[in-house]
Amino acid sequence: MPTFTHGSVSIAVDEDGFMETPEVWNQDVAAALATTEGVTDLGDEHWKLVNYLRNYYLQYGVAPMIRKLCKETGFDLKKVYELFPSGPAKGACKVAGLPKPTGCV
Amino acid sequence: MSRPIPFCDFCTPSEQLAHVDPKDLPPLPPPYDKWEEKPWTPLSQTARTEREATLDDTLAVGVPKPKNKQEEDELVAAFLRGLDKLFTSENNWTFLHPLMLSMEHCARCQTCSEACHTFVESGRNEVYRPAFRSEILRRLYHQRRSGGGLLSRWQRGGIELNWTTVSRLLELSYRCNLCRRCAQTCPIGVDNGLISREIRKLFSQELGIAAKEIHEKGSMLQLRVGSSTGMNSLVVKDNLEFIDEDMTTKTGLPVKTPWDVQGADILLMHNAGEILAWPENPGAFGIILDAAGVKWTLSSEAVAYDAINYGLWYDDVQYARVLIKHVQAAAKLGVKKVIMGECGHAHKAMMVIGNRVVPADMAVPVESTLPYIESLVDGGKLKLDPKRNDFAVTLHDPCNVVRLMGIVEPQRRILRKLAPKFREMEPHGVDNYCCGGGSGFAIMSGNNFGEWRTRIASRRKFRQILEAFQDDLDPKHPKYVCAPCSNCKGAIRDVLKYYEAEERVGIHYGGLVELIVNAMTDAKPGFLEFSAA
Repeated sequence: MPTFTHGSVSIAVDEDGFMETPEVWNQDVAAALATTEGVTDLGDEHWKLVNYLRNYYLQYGVAPMIRKLCKETGFDLKKVYELFPSGPAKGACKVAGLPKPTGCV
Repeated sequence: MSRPIPFCDFCTPSEQLAHVDPKDLPPLPPPYDKWEEKPWTPLSQTARTEREATLDDTLAVGVPKPKNKQEEDELVAAFLRGLDKLFTSENNWTFLHPLMLSMEHCARCQTCSEACHTFVESGRNEVYRPAFRSEILRRLYHQRRSGGGLLSRWQRGGIELNWTTVSRLLELSYRCNLCRRCAQTCPIGVDNGLISREIRKLFSQELGIAAKEIHEKGSMLQLRVGSSTGMNSLVVKDNLEFIDEDMTTKTGLPVKTPWDVQGADILLMHNAGEILAWPENPGAFGIILDAAGVKWTLSSEAVAYDAINYGLWYDDVQYARVLIKHVQAAAKLGVKKVIMGECGHAHKAMMVIGNRVVPADMAVPVESTLPYIESLVDGGKLKLDPKRNDFAVTLHDPCNVVRLMGIVEPQRRILRKLAPKFREMEPHGVDNYCCGGGSGFAIMSGNNFGEWRTRIASRRKFRQILEAFQDDLDPKHPKYVCAPCSNCKGAIRDVLKYYEAEERVGIHYGGLVELIVNAMTDAKPGFLEFSAA
């Protein structure tokens, strides 16, 4: 299993860089994972998105629908892509420590 | 065309057996005739060192390398046990008969090769030839049966059973979409798709090895949580409520999804991926059913609110576990019939195989969405204006619904009625080509497999789509690929994105019900939104 290391952070990830054990996520992990998405500085808007995803995941055990994410954060999809260039699933969810989406999505 | 691969090469360890140079991929129609294919994203060092990755340029299963010779021998012995079981009726009563026919009767005429989109679009790489894979299993099987005597070695020799052979055969069984176009073409009906599927089954049922997206993160997750998407019953209801609100705002028509209605006319079963990834699809179903005055329901029963049944692609036991939940949920609600939503493999799981293998008293009446929705379109209750669909439309035929089940015309009659600029892909109907996402490929994207799928397995579909729209390539003029199947939509989405086809040609995609709602005059215009390219 690949390991992702950045600074003091060292975590197990799958072959696409998603966390294998989402429970060990914290803000340092998020900042470290963000660098793989070309985001070197997480600003307030990034955190708003990441925290929404994280909280939704902790409550429901799955990522939210993209449209719901947009509605709840007030960001349109374009804005989400500006914040995380790989998009909501491959970018923002990865940084928020969610596992890779499953099923026919 | 690549050189033939002798079977002895397949059985001999080497760094990589087959390679497709992306520069040799058959060129695509305009505006992609000058498109330069990039080299493959290489497999990671971890994948190369820790996994069995010696077949070709990619990795679908990626079985861990055995630690020592003893472990290797144990795996080979387990493969042989599985092989024996595949050919005994008590262990394989479901598929033994068609499998035996395909094992015994191949004349090696290779007619099937040219029918296979993956073989042809790979630049005719020998390793993807449908009969190449089948012949390996066939020779292993005959070697096992005959004990490898002189006559049999002369007739069907050249194969050596070892871990290299076994592990490559495993990977190779995940280079076939199980679309069965080869079986349709074969003069004697040899089913290479079934052979690929039975190889996968052998590995899953006897060795516990399968692609993780369809097993661990697929059917296991569905059985544990309720859906392969990870949605439990609470989340799925919450999401539908959100979709209802969204659709109400969008169309101006009140939408409220009914749950667990006893004695409803129909129980609608969606692939749950639609709810997360393509919410307009379940939304459009609700709008149409309400407008037509149908007493319908969804089930919130775990497993049954997700029509998927990935076991179909690799494992009879997993398949049966899910199937039982599906038929039980329908029986519990006492609905008149089940309607399968826009999901091809769910059609096959529930309709073609399901009601043939469950005990008679468990069977439930099931119908495909396509003829059913046509009956609503023709029923006179929906007010429809085809002028609202004033853009080019082509139709993709999901293999499991069209080639396998012969449901060819209902969707076309709807499009001829509601999409004035409808044009066919060539070939189409039962002669269609797979989207490249079949058999789980659409959801498999680990390592660089998504790239392999998009550029090789989906290449023929992308070619057909481009050919259908050659009359107007202007990206400012929207075009719509109607693909009434979740898996197909996933694969088509990825290939359109890879080749930037929305930006470059204005190609969009979606299901069938969305087009119908787009034409409903009671709804606000613009159900389908094509952002300006």
